Formats: sequence, structure tokens, C-alpha cells
Amino acid sequence: MKFINFINNLDKRWIYLVLALCIIIPFIFPVGFPMKTTPPVKSIYDFIEDSIPEGGVVLIGADYDPSTMAELHPMAKVIAAHALSNNLRVLFVTLYPQGAGMAQDAIDNVLREWNKSNPDNPKELGKDITLLAYVPGVSAVVLKMGEDIIETFNEDGYGNKLSELEIMNGIKNYNDINLMVELAGSSVVLTWLIYANGRYGLKMGIGTTAVSAAEYYSYLQSKQAIGMLGGLKGAAEYEHLLDKKNVYGGRKDASIGMDAQSSAHIFFIILIILGNIAYFVKKKKEGK
Amino acid sequence: MAISTNFWVWIAALLTLAIYSFLYKDNPFYKFAEYLLVGISIGYGISVYWHNTIITKVFNPLVYDKNFLVLIPLVLGLLMFSRFFKNVAYLSRIPIAFVVGAGTGLSVPSSFEFLFKQIYATMPLKLDIGSLIIVVGVISTLVYFFFSLEHKGFVGKVSKAGITFIMVAFGAAFGYTIMARVSLFIGRIQFLLSDWLGIIK
Amino acid sequence: MLKKTLLLIFSVFSILLFSQESDSLIFLENQNPFLDFKLTGNDIPNDGGGGIQINWCFPDTLGNWFLTVLRRDDSNNVIVVATDLLVSSMQVRDVSSEEEPSRVKDNTNYYYTGILSKNMINEKFLNKLISNGSEYSKNGVYIFGNDTFYITGETEAIFSKSSWFNLSRIPVLVSLIIIAFVFLYYLNLAKSGKDLYIRKINGLDAVEEAVGRSTEMGKPIMYILGIGYVTDIPTIAGLTILGRVAKKVADYETRILVPSYDPVVMTTAQEVVKEAFTEAGRPDLYNKNDIMYITQDQFGYAAGVDGMMMREKPGAVFLQGLFFAESLILAETGHSIGAIQISGTTETAQLPFFVAACDYTLIGEEMMAASVYLQKEPMMLGSIAAEDLLKVFIMFLIIIGFVFSVLGYGLRIEIIKNLFDWLINLLQV
Repeated sequence: MKFINFINNLDKRWIYLVLALCIIIPFIFPVGFPMKTTPPVKSIYDFIEDSIPEGGVVLIGADYDPSTMAELHPMAKVIAAHALSNNLRVLFVTLYPQGAGMAQDAIDNVLREWNKSNPDNPKELGKDITLLAYVPGVSAVVLKMGEDIIETFNEDGYGNKLSELEIMNGIKNYNDINLMVELAGSSVVLTWLIYANGRYGLKMGIGTTAVSAAEYYSYLQSKQAIGMLGGLKGAAEYEHLLDKKNVYGGRKDASIGMDAQSSAHIFFIILIILGNIAYFVKKKKEGK
Repeated sequence: MAISTNFWVWIAALLTLAIYSFLYKDNPFYKFAEYLLVGISIGYGISVYWHNTIITKVFNPLVYDKNFLVLIPLVLGLLMFSRFFKNVAYLSRIPIAFVVGAGTGLSVPSSFEFLFKQIYATMPLKLDIGSLIIVVGVISTLVYFFFSLEHKGFVGKVSKAGITFIMVAFGAAFGYTIMARVSLFIGRIQFLLSDWLGIIK
Repeated sequence: MLKKTLLLIFSVFSILLFSQESDSLIFLENQNPFLDFKLTGNDIPNDGGGGIQINWCFPDTLGNWFLTVLRRDDSNNVIVVATDLLVSSMQVRDVSSEEEPSRVKDNTNYYYTGILSKNMINEKFLNKLISNGSEYSKNGVYIFGNDTFYITGETEAIFSKSSWFNLSRIPVLVSLIIIAFVFLYYLNLAKSGKDLYIRKINGLDAVEEAVGRSTEMGKPIMYILGIGYVTDIPTIAGLTILGRVAKKVADYETRILVPSYDPVVMTTAQEVVKEAFTEAGRPDLYNKNDIMYITQDQFGYAAGVDGMMMREKPGAVFLQGLFFAESLILAETGHSIGAIQISGTTETAQLPFFVAACDYTLIGEEMMAASVYLQKEPMMLGSIAAEDLLKVFIMFLIIIGFVFSVLGYGLRIEIIKNLFDWLINLLQV
């Protein structure tokens, strides 16, 4: 009984402390839990790997901000790196003002890491990869892109005229985009699915926070999206797949965190079991 | 790797710690960081809107490209400001009506197509236990959201099954969310240990 | 001797040079194994014009060969439509563009030819070929450098045209008409005074209780509309419920705080609350500043609302609208200050948190139904009844699909299988 009372009256801050330790310790002493790739992640990877001809275009929607950066930023980096490794062109687009900063950071990072590990096949901003300028309007922007991408944005995110950029050669609208991967933790994913996929038939993949992952599974089943990266785990799986190809030397942000993720989950499972035991015992006691 | 010498990394690290200090208890450092976030996000938003809307979408087309069609949305936009003057405040309804009307027109057909795709996906293209569960789940959940029938008798039983499906879905979503929250925390810890302190690679 | 050596070197060099001179185009007529391979093409149906779709269906063994598509018009202008497509991709679209006047024009005849090659096409070869005008269209094989290029047969004349209607979306139009009809029917029924039944939504009584208890404690009420825009349906439902809550608030002469995420939602909320206060006969109590803008940053908004909750300590918190990752942050803070919480959203991912942290939760459409139950407005009542009928229709469709699938694919009854395929086709707009 003493134990049950202890659980019921436990100061939350102890839980925070133990959780912090559960996460910090595996970083310093990694265990290396095994990794399995799931079909939704594999299908995006395979599509970029096999189904897009060289020079094809991958559009990455960076509709997130620092608050969900931990999960979505590794996805942006690893997908962009994968596309570059197949000599595809990568366009970033954002419907959120804060997304521009995220996309620029991802581009800088990927370009730097790529050029460091592949000096014989250097990639250039404006030629192989760039960010389309942020334009307000969300669904209006998605719809307009279906008609004319250059006219929608006029500029890239660095202030250059899009019509003068080499990367835009032959890109008019969604028909010229081989795959769009939307990275977001909010309903903006639906905006893309409804307007870009629904109306213009743009092939789409989703990268989302684990919070929203369960919800977006139904769009995989209906084939509105070809695949999905759910949360840090999804990003780690993708990194794992790209790692096998051995072309990119960038830091594997998501994979590093997987041990910490697993240990935190074990901690939570223990907490849930203890919490439920305490709850039912208490209820039984009060019932008597 | 050693401790960071980058000024901005230090700022980011200290602000992260300031926010996490709330877990111990509310304090001035947390308040400072919170207000800073709200203030900066508004400021950042305004600067982005200024450049990407007012300059690129209004000023440049009007001044350099002499595209006077831009005047129509500009006037509609300016009408929003009529709210500040009581006697002409009704004018702001015009742009609101425009946005709501155009928005509905755009979204209704697309929503239908979206619904069609979901119905189509529910139809079993191959016969297995999974498809059966999907069909039963979808139908019983739909029954739960029946409002013109009292939930009694058979309907009550089906809707009970429906709410069970809903709760199972919630459970799965909950699990995913815990994973997400942990990931966010991991992201920060990674930043603190690696970019700031340089303890790990 | 020197002369001879120089001559020898010169001749060897020139032979080398000559053999290097692979830029010359060698044309082999009548040796083309792909002579019968033709592209086909057609106007892209249901578009605004200016688009032609080119298809091909070559043997699988050529799957990873490359195909370059050329287009010729009646005046023999040749244009490259696309280079180095994988043969396995089976189709490409030639679409007009404002920037490039050379692209497809409506009602102009075009002829398409493909160049098949094992390796990627050589740009010099392509330029050379194009500069020959329509000459390339001769069925044949070209050898250029180390590569061999096979020219396919030319298509018939193809022209693009624009369509007035997108016929592929007829099912959408039909359903729209049916739904509008059902809706209008029920609307009329409700207007004519027929009592349309709507079941009671659990947790609605709590609205009054929450406002009452909050007033007793002398605490304000907080109404959070989430981070949706005014075009989002949950936000609109949230605004309707806000009207009802605000009226109760005016009746009880207490205070309502509405921190907003979006400026348009904020102004709409101001309007709604003002109207409700006026309706309750207390326009004097309405304070515009209580419905304020916070920020359009998701977590900035959550932090702002959280801080406000901690300071104002509202007795009741309503979370009605569109919520994302900030939902639990808000609901947990509300829980920690001991407020009665009534939540509602259509975001399935956020509902679990609301169920866990709030006293009452309106799940998805219940939120809309609740607003109708409160108002009993004929328009809304009619729409709920119509929606229910449509749900029956959807259920019926799914059950039919299931039965067809069992009979058609399970028991292999051909006619039912065809019916099932037809149904699936209809739904894939």
C-alpha cells in the first residue's frame, strides 16, 4: 500500500528527471538497438531510387518550424541528400514563414556535407537545389503552383529571379515534378493532398511528426500518398536505407537518437503499467 | 569535439535551458524566453510578409511591371482596415465575403474527390481479415456519428462497437504522440550535448 | 629520313584525328529493328488546351533504354519535347507554356517521333539531327560516336484542344447535385415546422454548468479556438458554439477571454461575441480587448495562451476548433489550474489528449452536432439530417462494394467483378 501511495503522490519532477537521464545516457553510451525499415518509408526511398530519371525533380515541402524540427529536419536533409545522390533536382517550398529558415538550413547543411563527401560530383545552389520564396496564401499557393510555379513565386528564397535559375529549366507546373514529399506536423499535409494530389495528380509522399502519423496512414491505404516517414523513427529508417548506399557523409541526426527513443519508451511502458496498477488498486480501496 | 565557441549556439542553448527550467517551476527565465518567442515570431512574420507580400506581390508588379490588376486585391485588402472606423466598418465584410466565398468554392469539389478516394480505399480490393476489420470499423464508426437516431437497441450496440474502434485509434495515436514528444526532447538534448557542449559527435 | 618520319607521324596523326572525328553522323537505312515501333498520342482530355499526351508501349526488354521525343509541325520546325525518358515510364506530356511560345498551340497539327538509345542521348547528335529539319523522320538507325540511335516511326497528326468541361469530374457534379437536393429537402422540412430529431450530445449540459460554476467562483471563462483559419470547418463550428457560450456568459454577467491565432478568426470572434452579448441584452458588457490576437506561431501561441491561463486562472476553459501539437500543452495547463474543460475538435490525432485531460470532449462531428443542438436552427437541423442520410448512402456504398468484392473476387462471378471494377472506376475521379 505504501508503494501505491508513493506512486499516486509522486512529484512529477522526478519523472522529468528520470526521463532526462533515460535520454542523455544512451547518447553517451550508445547501445545500438536493431533497426527495421517499414514499407511506407521504403516505398518513398524506392521511388526516388528507381522511378525518377536523372535530372528529375523532387519537391520538398518544409512546412515546419523549430518546434517540430527535431523530427522533420532530419527527413528534409536525408531526402534531399538522397535525391542529389541520384542527380535529381531538389526544390524546397514552404507555406509557413518559419519554414524558409528551416529549408535554408537544410539546404546549407546538405550541400556542405555532400560537397565534402563527393568532391568529384559537386552540387550547386540554384542549379541542383534551391528554395522557392515564401508566399502567403497556403491553399491558393498550392493551387497556383499547379498552373505555373515560376509565376507563383517569382523569386527563390535567396532573392534570385526564378526564371533565370538553371534549376528551373523545363519546370512549369506539377506535371514536371516527379515527386513531392511534404514535411509537416499540421493539416497543411491535407492541403497538399486535396489540391495538389487531388486536383493535379501530383505524386506525393508524406513526412510527418509521429503525432500525426496515425492519422495519415489512411491516405497511404487510399494511395493518395505513396509512402510516409513517421516521426524520428521514419527519418532514422530513411537514413539507414541511404547509409547502405554509402554516398553521403552527413550526420545521421535521427539514427543517433533512436537508442534514446527506445529507452524512453521502455521507461514510459513501466510508468503506464505502474500508474494503472496504482489507479485500480486505489479505486478498489475506495470502493470498499 | 569541444564546447562551442559560437555565440549564437550559446544563446540557443541558454534559451533552451530557460524554457526547460519551467519543468522545475515557473520562473523569470522561463517568462523571458516565452515572451521572446512570442515577440520574435510576430516580428519575423511581419518582416516576411513585408518582403514576400507587400514588396513582391504588390509593390514590384505595380511599380515595375505596371500590372494594375494588382489594385483589385490591394483595395480588397485595404478594406479590411475599415474596421478601425466605426461608420465604415461594414466595408470589411466585402473582403471577408470574398475569402470565404472563394475558399468554399475551391474546397467543396476537392473535398468530394477526397471523400471518393477514401470510400474507394475502404472497398476491399483483396479479401483478407484486414479488409473486413476496415469495413466493420468504418461502418460502426459512421453509426456512432449518427445524430438523428437515438443510440438504443441494435443501433446502440453498433455505435458502441464504433466508439470502441475510435478509442483503439486514439490509443494508437496516443502512442505515436508520446514517441513524437520524446523525439522533440531528443532533438534538444542532441543539440545541447553535441552542438553546445561537444560531448558527443 | 626526318622528312619520312615527319610524314609518317603526320599520317598516323591524321588517321587518329579522322577516327576521333566521330561527330560525323552515319545513317543506316532499312536496318532498323524498331521500325514498327511507334509513339501514339492524343489531346489531354478535360484540360484547358495546350497539352498533348504521348504514349508508347515497347517490349519489356527495352525497359531501361532511353527515349527522346521530338516534335515536328507542318512547317517542319523540330523541337525536342523531352530527353532521356526511361522507356518503362510509358508516357510523357507535351504541355504549352506562356514563357516558351515554341510549346504546343491549340488546333495545330504535330507529329511525334522518338529516338531510342541504350545510353543517354548525345546533345551534339541531337543538335545535328534537328538542324537537318524534318529529315530525321526517316525511319532509320544513326551511329554517332560510339552510340547507336534508333528512330521510331512518326505519329499521325495530333492536335490539342481545350475542353469546356472536365468530364472526368461528372461524378463530383452529380454527387453535389444530389447532396444539395437532399440538403434543400431537409431544410424545407425543418422550415415548415416539422420536428427533426437530433439526439442529445453528451456533455452539452456541462456548458451551462461550466459557465455557472466559473461565475460563482468569480473567475473568467477562456474560449480557445485553436490554430485554424476562418475557412476551416471546425473553426466555424467553434465560432458557432462560441456564440452560444458568449450568450450564457452575458446572462451570467461574467467575462470571456478569447486568445486568437489568426487575425481574421479574431475579428470574426469579436463579431460573434458582440452579437451574442447584444442578443442577451448586455452590449455594455462586451469588451473588444478580451478577444485578442496572440501570434501566428503555433508554439508561440501555445506559450502565450498558457501564460494567460496561469495568470487569469479561468474557471472554465473551452477548447473548440482546430488543434494540432499544441493541444495537450493547452489542455494540461487547463487541467493543472483546476478549470472545467470542455473540448472539441475534428483532429483525430489530438482527440486522445482531450479525452484524457478534459472533462467533456466532443469527438469530431459531435462538435458540429452540438452547435446545432444548442441552436435548433432549421438550416443547421436540416444539414444534420441530410448528413445522416448521406452517411447511410456511404455505408450502403461500402457494403455494396464489400459484397461485390466477395462475390466478384472471392467467388469469381464475372459480371459482379465487372460491376465492382466499374464502381471503383467511378470513385477514382
